[in-house]
Amino acid sequence: MGGVRARNESAWLLPNDGTRTHHALRENMRTFADGDEVDVVIVGCGAGGATLLQRLARAGLRVVALDAGPFWDPDRDWVSDEAGSHHLYWTEPRVITGDDPVPLGSNNSGRGVGGSMVHYAGFTPRFHPSDFRTRILDGVGADWPIRYCDLRPYYRDLEEELPVAGERWPWGDPHGYPHRPHPVGGNGEVFLRGARKLGITAKVGPVAIANGRFGNRPHCIYRGFCLQGCKVNAKASPLITHIPDALARGAEVRADSMVTSIEVDQRTGRAKGVRYVRDGRPHFQRAAMVAVAGYSIETPRLLLNSASSRFPDGLCNDFDQVGRYLMVQGAPQTAGRFDAEVRMYKAPPPEVSSEEFYETDPAKPYKRGFSLQTVSPLPITWAEHVAAQGHWGRVLRDYMRDYVHWSCLGALCEFLPQPGNRVTLAQETDGYGLPVARFSYSQCDNDRLLMRAAQAVMENLLRAAGAGEVITIDRYAHLVGGARMAADERHGVVDADCRTFAVPNLYITDGSVLPTQGSANPALTIMAVAARAADHMAGGAR
Amino acid sequence: MSGPGQRFPGFDVLSQSGNWDPVTARVVLARVGPAGDLRFFTPAEGQAAAALLDRLLGQADGPGVPLVGLVDARLSEGRTDGWRYDDMPEDGRAWRDSLSFLDADALAGVGLGFAACPAADQEALIQAIRDLGPADWHGMAAGHIWSLWTRYACTAFYSHPSAWNEIGFPGPAYPRGYKNAGVDRREPFEVRDARPSDDPVPEGA
Repeated sequence: MGGVRARNESAWLLPNDGTRTHHALRENMRTFADGDEVDVVIVGCGAGGATLLQRLARAGLRVVALDAGPFWDPDRDWVSDEAGSHHLYWTEPRVITGDDPVPLGSNNSGRGVGGSMVHYAGFTPRFHPSDFRTRILDGVGADWPIRYCDLRPYYRDLEEELPVAGERWPWGDPHGYPHRPHPVGGNGEVFLRGARKLGITAKVGPVAIANGRFGNRPHCIYRGFCLQGCKVNAKASPLITHIPDALARGAEVRADSMVTSIEVDQRTGRAKGVRYVRDGRPHFQRAAMVAVAGYSIETPRLLLNSASSRFPDGLCNDFDQVGRYLMVQGAPQTAGRFDAEVRMYKAPPPEVSSEEFYETDPAKPYKRGFSLQTVSPLPITWAEHVAAQGHWGRVLRDYMRDYVHWSCLGALCEFLPQPGNRVTLAQETDGYGLPVARFSYSQCDNDRLLMRAAQAVMENLLRAAGAGEVITIDRYAHLVGGARMAADERHGVVDADCRTFAVPNLYITDGSVLPTQGSANPALTIMAVAARAADHMAGGAR
Repeated sequence: MSGPGQRFPGFDVLSQSGNWDPVTARVVLARVGPAGDLRFFTPAEGQAAAALLDRLLGQADGPGVPLVGLVDARLSEGRTDGWRYDDMPEDGRAWRDSLSFLDADALAGVGLGFAACPAADQEALIQAIRDLGPADWHGMAAGHIWSLWTRYACTAFYSHPSAWNEIGFPGPAYPRGYKNAGVDRREPFEVRDARPSDDPVPEGA
C-alpha cells in the first residue's frame, strides 16, 4: 500500500483519535480570490469533481472546486438514522414526466462535498469491456470513443485509493481487489446459498469499504447505515478519499456555492469562468479552464441555463444533444420470507453480487443484461417495498412486524440510451430564479424485458434458498448520460477526453458523459473517467 | 394475527439510547417528545391529515406515533423530496389539495368531513382511491397522490422508536455497530421473534 500513499495521502491525513475530520486542513486551506484567474474551476465536488480536483492539484495546477452543498463533517452532520439523513440528498425542486417517470431526490441525487457517494451503498464494480461497444457488438446503445483498456489503469489506481474489498472477480476483464472480501451477514448468506443451489456464480464484493484499517480510517463496524453517510470513515467517498489530499496539495474547496451559469466570451468563444451565489451574494470566479461535474440532471441544466447570444439554445447545445440519452438502471427489488431470522439491517447493504447475467445472451429475447446484488433496506425503505404491494393499514403493519425474516436482493438492469429520455428546462424556477430541470423518462421494450427477467431470477434464487413468499417492487437506481461522450458534435457533447466540442476550454467530468451504463454501479467508472480527463487537462490542454 | 408488541416481547429500543452518539440521539429523541402545535396544516387540515395518516398505518390500537406532527414538521420546514410529478403541485400544495378533495369525497359519500367519519367509512374512502390506480382523482393521477401519502406516512411511522420496537429493529447503531451478523444470530440486546412462523401471508394464501 506504500504506493497508494505516495499517490494519494488522503487516508493518512484524516485524524486517528476517534474523530473523522481534519479541521485544521480545512481551516488552513489555500483560497483564491474571485478575480484571481485560477487554472481550473470545477463545478461540483462529487465522484467526478473531487477526483479531478485531487489529480489536478497533484499536477501542480491552481484549482478550486465549488459545491452547492455543505462541507460535511461526519461527526457533526450525519446521523445513524434513516429519516434524519434527508439532508444528504439533492432536494431542490425538479419535475418528472414521461411514460415511466423516475423519482429523484433520495436514492439517486447527492448534495454537498462528496456528492452521491456520501450515500451510495458502496458497490464499486468496473464496467465490462463490452459496455464500450454495445452498438457494434449487439446493435443497441452506443459505442464510446474510448475503449475499456483506456480506463483500466485508472480503475486499478482508484481501487487501491478507495480501497475496494472483494473476491477475485471472474467477469468482464477478470481482476483481483486490493482488500480481502468482508464477512457476510444474513442477507449475503441467503444470496450465496440460493446462488449455489441454482449453480449461479456469486461473489462477495466489490465494495469500497476497507477491510481492516486503511491509513487512519478505522475498520467497518457493520452497522448497516452505509446509505446514511458513513460516520465511521470506513466506506469510501471523495470527502475522505480525495479531498484531504487535494487540500494538502493546495486546492480549494468552496462549499455552499451554487453555480448559476458558465460565462463564455462571445468574441473568442472561450469560457471565462463561472457565476455563483454564496451567502446570498452573486460572485464570478475567473478561470482559464472550466470543468462541470454536477451529475446527470444538474450538469445539463447548468448548460441550458448558460444560454447566450452565441449559444441561444443553451451552452454546447448547437446540435440539440444537451440533456439527451440520460439513463437510469431498472432496479427491481425482490424480497423473500424465511422462518429463520435474517436481520438484513446488520452488515453493510452491499455484500454479495453476481454479474452472470450481465452480457447479451443470444438465447434471450433481449439484448444486454443485468447484475444482482444484496440491498438490505432499513425500515423506512422496506416499508416502501411492502406498501408498493398495495398494502396499507393493519396489513402493512403486520408485514412490517415480520421485518427480521426477510432477505432482499436488487437487480441493476441495463436500460438503453434513448434520445427522448432527457433533461429540459421547466417553466418553474428555483430559489435562485433559475428554471428547474424537467426530466422525462420512458422505457423501451428491451428495458421492460430485462426488468421481468431479473425479477424471475431473483425470485428463483430466493426460493432456492428456502424462501416462502416473495414480493417485488419496481424501482430505478443511478443516473448517467445527459451530456455524452461521442466521436463528433452531432452525436454528443464532449469528446473522448471530456472536452466539450463547442468550447475548447470547457470540460464535463461526471457521470453525464457516459454513453452507456452496463449493469454496474457507476461510481468507480465516473471517477476513472474524471481521472483520465485530469491527465489530459494537466498535460497542457488549453 | 399478532398484536402490537407480541413478536418481540420486552424489546425496547430506547433502553439502548445511552449507546448512541449524541448527534443521532438528539435527532431521534426529539421524535419521542411531546408534539408541538401544527405549523403547516390549518386545524381542519390537521384533523383530516391525522385521521388519514392513522388509517394508512393502522394506528387504531396504537402505538400512537404522532404522525401528523411529524409530517407537519417536514412540510413546514420544507424537508420535501424536491421532485414532483408533472401533473402534481409541489408537496405542500399537494397535501392541502388532496386533504380538501378527501373531505369532498367524504361529504359526498357519507355526509361528514373525513375526520368525522366512522373508521370503516374512512377506510372505504381510502381504499376507493387506492383502487383507482393510475386513473384520475380530482385532476391528478390517484397513484401519484397515493405515492405522496404513503411515502410521508411510512417515513414518519418507521422513524419512531415505538415502530422499531414492534418490528425488532434496534435503531441507531453508532458507535457500537454489530458483532453477530448472520442468519439466526443476535446481539445480546436483540430479542428473538416469539412467533417466527407468523408469516403475514402464509404460502398458498
